[in-house]
Amino acid sequence: MTRYAMVIDKRRCIGCQSCTVACRTWNNLPMDIIYNPVVSEGVQGKWPNVHQTFTPLLCNHCQNPPCVICCPCKATFQDDDGIVWVDPNKCMGCKFCVQNCPYGARDVSAAPEEGFARKCTFCKDRVRTAELPPDQRPEGWKPEDALPYCVNTCHQKARIFGDLDDPDSEVSKLVNGNTTTRLFTELGTDPQVYYIEENGGSVK
Amino acid sequence: MSTKYKDKSVDIHAPGVEVKKSCCYFCHQNCGVLAYVKDGKVIKIEGDPNHPTNQGGLCCRGNIALQHLDHPGRINHPLKRAGEKGEGKWEQIPWDQAISEIADKLNAIKQESGAEAVAAAAGTLRTDDWSRRRFLNLFGTPNGFHNALLCWIPTFMMETAIGGWSPFETDLGAAKVVILWGFNPGASAMPGMRGYTDLKKAGMKIIVIDPRFSETAAKADLWLPVRPGSDSALALGMLNVIINEGLYDQSFVENWCVGFDELSEHIQQYSPEWAGEQTWLDPEQIREAARMYANNKPGCIQWGCTADQMGKASASGMQAREIMRAICGNLDCPGGDLMPGPSQDYITDEELEGNDFLPEEQKAKQIGSAKFKLTAWPGYSIIAKNCKEVWGKAPTAEWMCEAHGPSVFKAILTGDPYQVRALICSATNPINSYGDSKMTLEAIKKVEFLVVCEYWMTPTALYADYVMPIAGALERPVIHNNYGVTDSMICAERAIQPLYERHPDFNFWRDLSIATGAPADQWPWQELEDAFYYVTYPLNQKGYAHSSYNEFVQKFRMYYPPLHYYKYANGFATPSRRVELKSSILEELGYPSLPTWVGPAENEVDDPEVAKQYPLVLTTGGGFMPFHHSEEFNIQSLRFIKHEPFFTINPETAAKLGIANGDWCWIETRRGRIRQRANVEPSVDPRVIYAQRGWWYPERDPKAASSADQPFGCLESNVNVLTSVDDEHCDPIGGSWANRGLLCKVYKATVTDTFDTRFSIPGSSAEPGVTVKPSEQKLAFEPIPYDPKPSFEVPEGLTWDKDLKKAVYEPMNLVYDENSGWLYDPKTSVYYDLQTKYAYDPTNEVLVDEKGQQYDMTTKQPVEKGGK
Repeated sequence: MTRYAMVIDKRRCIGCQSCTVACRTWNNLPMDIIYNPVVSEGVQGKWPNVHQTFTPLLCNHCQNPPCVICCPCKATFQDDDGIVWVDPNKCMGCKFCVQNCPYGARDVSAAPEEGFARKCTFCKDRVRTAELPPDQRPEGWKPEDALPYCVNTCHQKARIFGDLDDPDSEVSKLVNGNTTTRLFTELGTDPQVYYIEENGGSVK
Repeated sequence: MSTKYKDKSVDIHAPGVEVKKSCCYFCHQNCGVLAYVKDGKVIKIEGDPNHPTNQGGLCCRGNIALQHLDHPGRINHPLKRAGEKGEGKWEQIPWDQAISEIADKLNAIKQESGAEAVAAAAGTLRTDDWSRRRFLNLFGTPNGFHNALLCWIPTFMMETAIGGWSPFETDLGAAKVVILWGFNPGASAMPGMRGYTDLKKAGMKIIVIDPRFSETAAKADLWLPVRPGSDSALALGMLNVIINEGLYDQSFVENWCVGFDELSEHIQQYSPEWAGEQTWLDPEQIREAARMYANNKPGCIQWGCTADQMGKASASGMQAREIMRAICGNLDCPGGDLMPGPSQDYITDEELEGNDFLPEEQKAKQIGSAKFKLTAWPGYSIIAKNCKEVWGKAPTAEWMCEAHGPSVFKAILTGDPYQVRALICSATNPINSYGDSKMTLEAIKKVEFLVVCEYWMTPTALYADYVMPIAGALERPVIHNNYGVTDSMICAERAIQPLYERHPDFNFWRDLSIATGAPADQWPWQELEDAFYYVTYPLNQKGYAHSSYNEFVQKFRMYYPPLHYYKYANGFATPSRRVELKSSILEELGYPSLPTWVGPAENEVDDPEVAKQYPLVLTTGGGFMPFHHSEEFNIQSLRFIKHEPFFTINPETAAKLGIANGDWCWIETRRGRIRQRANVEPSVDPRVIYAQRGWWYPERDPKAASSADQPFGCLESNVNVLTSVDDEHCDPIGGSWANRGLLCKVYKATVTDTFDTRFSIPGSSAEPGVTVKPSEQKLAFEPIPYDPKPSFEVPEGLTWDKDLKKAVYEPMNLVYDENSGWLYDPKTSVYYDLQTKYAYDPTNEVLVDEKGQQYDMTTKQPVEKGGK
């Protein structure tokens, strides 16, 4: 089995928001939609003893996604590899899922002809090219083409993507070798984005 | 619901899609970009995973290349002014017609006033600079300039004067420590930041020197938050520790340095305690930094922009840092700071510039070269001679040997030393990117003939006689080789031919040069690829077989000569062939030969009077995501991240001044004031203000009444209104003007506040550069006349106080509140009637005179006590 997940190494993130911009341009999103904002509480502490951390956000592709069960027209799905996605042709834009997602990862654009719920798909069209047998991959395919675009564009390599069920993958090693946190685990959503915390402002 | 929804995703692997090895062009890192081209159109771009610089990464700006390429705001055809200057009325004309009309006008000016009356301004390293220099040399004017003096060039020239070539390539892989001095790669050099993060994980120590808790400082082992503008004092203090504690490399000093004894005697005055006072650091922090650098050998000192932006306080720091590297034995050794030298294997920029075309008498007319000699013909000539003797080639003259930009703008306004009549701006919007914007704006408005080569209708382009459309990212081939002073290069090809009538600026300079009468055989290259093939052709000898430039890019993409260290075996390229700790070149030019402290342009020690009125220290010029200099404010996909200008203020100071997070405030220096919003955050010292650079408002209508004097709000939030280009504030050696370490004050803005476009120009071109001796540290200081006029009619009997900017009633020390029409006492906050000067009693709603007699509010007649 394959279980896609992302690890975000907050020790490396510098809050440049390149992933935010890159995702929008790569996926041709309307102006009012952001899949992966980077948030921060700003610089904390008392001068000069201060620190700052950045938290890149995106859809957590939960194991128990609350956005799937609430959909009245069955327009949102979770595939076997864990990826949660919306079929724009089935969605009526009622925003139930937008309200039900505790991570604010979904929204409906106000732009004309874009009136359906949308969210990060882990760039599923890209990542699933890795599962194709080599001879069926498109001409000119390279391993980077099988990563979400935000992972590629990150200069700091703070985003690491892969298969959690593969013990040799980098995400498996990171999740098993570091203390990681996840967002709102108390809700029982079982989110699949893992954060490696800053640990006092230095890269260990 | 929307069953019609069409998938908008683009398949980069579709049949017929070509992959072009292009590069990003939105800062000068030039990260590798793969452009997917189908039917002559770029359908997608992404970071090139095999590029050595970015390894697939792209920042915010890199990702918007496609929005930039065909943005509705782009200038696509040559425009000729059809109305008054600045009116914004244009006639679209063909490229050739524009070139021939511009050439005729330039030739007429040359005939009447000499070639030197034509000047050329430019911005960052994203232009075909050698071709501009070739044009200027063939035309005969020495007055080309860039923002060079704020960005590395004075450092390069200083380091080359002392050590024979700037050791700017940090060999980080083997380094144990790196000092990031005034450098924030976390916001301005993202590919570099990844390297530092990786190496730190591997054990390298990082020392960050930055007055702000920057993205990079957050990852440092040691962070030194210095007073803005005092970096040189820190460098001198560290040098003092290294020498006095014997932490230097004795054998290197003995074998390869001259002037060590004079240096160690001279440096005694700069103890860590002294440096601590200047920099606001604990002397122990300075000792710790010096020991961390000197004891972790090999180590690197990475250059940062700050080094060149502190005005007159800049030079001593550059000198001290170069000396520090040298005496610690970190020059050109594994893990140290490498001196690449000019390329021996391909044609350098300098060889393309044609500097021999420029007659000697024209070189002497270079504006500013009598004042700021190191970075102009006087200094460059000496350095180039030494470099040619040792390396065989000289540094690039474009950038390293230029007119002093602000002095050219002053010459437009004052005719001193002579009238500059024509200005060609390419890739720059000087109103926002050069210092003292009010003065620069006036020069742009006044110059007789202005040509602007641009992507956008900038505030500068609005005043142009001709605006020429320039090809941008993806539309031009690019060779990245650090201003032509390194021995390696990374190349990129065009993804597509330029859209519309856009051309790379190479074509502009080539066409203009031939149209102004230069022989066509001086420009044997039709297109940039031809010229670049001329550059790469010698590499055929090195096993890089190629028959065109594009083939070179597709097959090899880059050229790195085999890395070798200790290239100074035959001596350094200085007059003594040694590292000159006591510089003979500086001495020859009339400057102090040893690093000598000069305080920042404005500081509380030298100018206590100014500091009383402007109690905070301002630092500007730092890069911040997602913008670059004054660019990209018109790209919606970037502007949504930061849509308004912010300055950073410590919560303690903000509370004292009554400023809340997000408040619009004025930041004021002696030159003027700008409006930005407050970011209240403990990331700066309570005494420091950090203001964002570059801001203008491309979304505004330049014809609106509020924009009349300053189109696109180009003075409103533009931090360069605050910076100083006065001769006395500029670095006398390299000419850098003062962006950092200025004195300012901050106060809340109200909606009715207005702007002021007046300015003054102290100093003259005839005055030679200030030669600073320790005894003359306190430079002459004349306050700039600033005489604000009241914005309302001053009532009779009241006088205008220009310091308070209020009307006052002097006999009783009352201040007039122009909004309510009442007088008030600022000490007691009691209001007084304007006519009768009776005090207002809010309890009884009556007026009271000094004897206690009450008067009616409206009739001003006495009333009985105890009731109306």
